[in-house]
Amino acid sequence: MLTQMHVRGLMFDPYTNAYIVILRDESNSEMLPIWVGKPEASAISFAMEGITTPRPMTHDLMKVILDTAGAKVISVVVTDLKENTYYAKVHLSYEDSEYSIDARPSDAIALALRSKAPVFVNDNVIRKNSSEDMDRWLENLKPEDFGKYDA
Amino acid sequence: MEGALVKLTVQGVMPDAIPNSESQVVILQDESKTNTLPIWVGVAEGTAIRLALESVVPPRPLSHDLIRNLTEQLGLTISKVVVTDVKNNTYYASIFLRSKQSDKQSELTVDSRPSDAIALALRTSCPIYVTQEVLDHLAPENIDPWLKILGSKEFGGTV
Repeated sequence: MLTQMHVRGLMFDPYTNAYIVILRDESNSEMLPIWVGKPEASAISFAMEGITTPRPMTHDLMKVILDTAGAKVISVVVTDLKENTYYAKVHLSYEDSEYSIDARPSDAIALALRSKAPVFVNDNVIRKNSSEDMDRWLENLKPEDFGKYDA
Repeated sequence: MEGALVKLTVQGVMPDAIPNSESQVVILQDESKTNTLPIWVGVAEGTAIRLALESVVPPRPLSHDLIRNLTEQLGLTISKVVVTDVKNNTYYASIFLRSKQSDKQSELTVDSRPSDAIALALRTSCPIYVTQEVLDHLAPENIDPWLKILGSKEFGGTV
């Protein structure tokens, strides 16, 4: 089963020095934090805030290549969580065929936001994610940590 | 594409000479090593280029690996990348793609930063060119300090 999720925020995690993308489902009952690197975080934040740069950034290029070829991003799916690494797939349609391509969730989300494509998460990942670690981490979260990106 | 194209190879990625600079410099040279083209890139793009130069295969596909995988799966071939222009110290590049069906005339062209184009070229083993026009516009005062460094130092661990 897949649950559609939306990018609700982007935060900095001072403990790991990484950025966290917050995905939530429509009813706000499920939440999935995904740790991403700095360049991918800025790629996601630019798309969230509708910032356009004078020159195409890497994920803009990704989208322009697909657009130019006539390929369309149907959806992206966070498919799995193995040893603290999230896995995702980008689903494309091109010339009457469908393709799915392995990606990091950060790249997949950065591309989905630019393509207005929905983001889904495998329920299996949501369950795996509700671990003790996560609960402890969430307890320490303050609303202001969500900063200006919180929607 | 008008005008002559000069084929370049990536010699290495170096830190910027300015201390605390967020930039890195990709050094490209033609076969005869008479023309050197330094291109300033961001840290992320510099890393993407360095990893490809060192043939490092990361456990998960990085952004440019994903672009290569996307194009490969769709049957698109990246035939070449060209550094086409320089305006106000900003370099412009084009990525040339061919789909399985299309002949040479229907080659697709996509505007790109040179850093992305180079990162992609190294991953797809496609040639990198620069227009003679861009080489002609290289100001010697910009290049000479780099040539001096090139003469005195290795390119780090990348060659």
